[in-house]
Amino acid sequence: MDNLFIAASPSSPEVDFRFDERRLSLKGESYPENAAQFWGDIIAALRSFLAEDSGATAVTVNVALAYFNSSSTKMLFSLFGALNDKAKSGAEVVLNWYHDEDDDTIFEFGQELMEDFPDLVFHDHAVKS
Amino acid sequence: MNNIQRQWDDFHSYVERRDVIFYYVGYFSQTIIAAMADAVKLRVEHAGAVAQTRRKLFSSFIEMAQNIVHYSADSYEKEGHSETSMRHGAVFISLTDERYYLHCANPVNADVAEKLREKLEHLRSLTIDEIKLEYKETLRAETPADSKGAGLGFLTMARDASAPLEFELSPATADDNGSGTSMFYLRATI
Repeated sequence: MDNLFIAASPSSPEVDFRFDERRLSLKGESYPENAAQFWGDIIAALRSFLAEDSGATAVTVNVALAYFNSSSTKMLFSLFGALNDKAKSGAEVVLNWYHDEDDDTIFEFGQELMEDFPDLVFHDHAVKS
Repeated sequence: MNNIQRQWDDFHSYVERRDVIFYYVGYFSQTIIAAMADAVKLRVEHAGAVAQTRRKLFSSFIEMAQNIVHYSADSYEKEGHSETSMRHGAVFISLTDERYYLHCANPVNADVAEKLREKLEHLRSLTIDEIKLEYKETLRAETPADSKGAGLGFLTMARDASAPLEFELSPATADDNGSGTSMFYLRATI
């Protein structure tokens, strides 16, 4: 399966999904005009990777999003839901959740993810600003 | 003092009297929002807001601006068809006694006005804990069919605000198709 790379724009994050290395990264800010479409395409690519993947080593997901708007929040929830389904079926999926040390909103969203998607190996990383 | 300078001074003294630190009126598109987002970030940093306040202001600003792109009744039609939405509205930020106020205004059709009234009156009746709970439920629920966002926009603003969201709708004026248009005004205190 081809890797997926989308360069950052002023209102969308860098998406660097290296399926061959089992390393998926999101970095930047997310408030695209149409979040459902932007994230829908990404989630579709992720789902097809997860569906055909039978690798034995862990999938690592690094998320360092400094801001996401309400409609992106909803889509991110689906994205992590897809990863959690994979983890539930026995694969190891590690989620590294990066946020500014005093950013309560993003920290708390990470806690929501941890509660709702218990099959992900969740690591919270508070980054000094 | 020459005339140009006088005009500026009049304008500036009014802006200062009303504690306005940022103002824009015109068409809103995604490109314009992204550029304004940069300007707002710098402006509130310059005004001395702490990081958490800056983030809340930024978040509410984006939600308001994208609401205008999605729901303003006044859309800009270019000749030929354009993929990008451009709709008319206004936004301003004021700073009074160390509190930030975000204001936006845009025209809305009668059916949208009624939904906004219902949604905002409901939100105003909730405590901050109830708002957080409803946010969590909405995050996990199916997206409403009439929402271009995720039904989370006003909840996000209500969550980040330090007081209940305030709004007004002007009496509807009849338009060509008889459905009526109101001005929608929203204010969030950060």
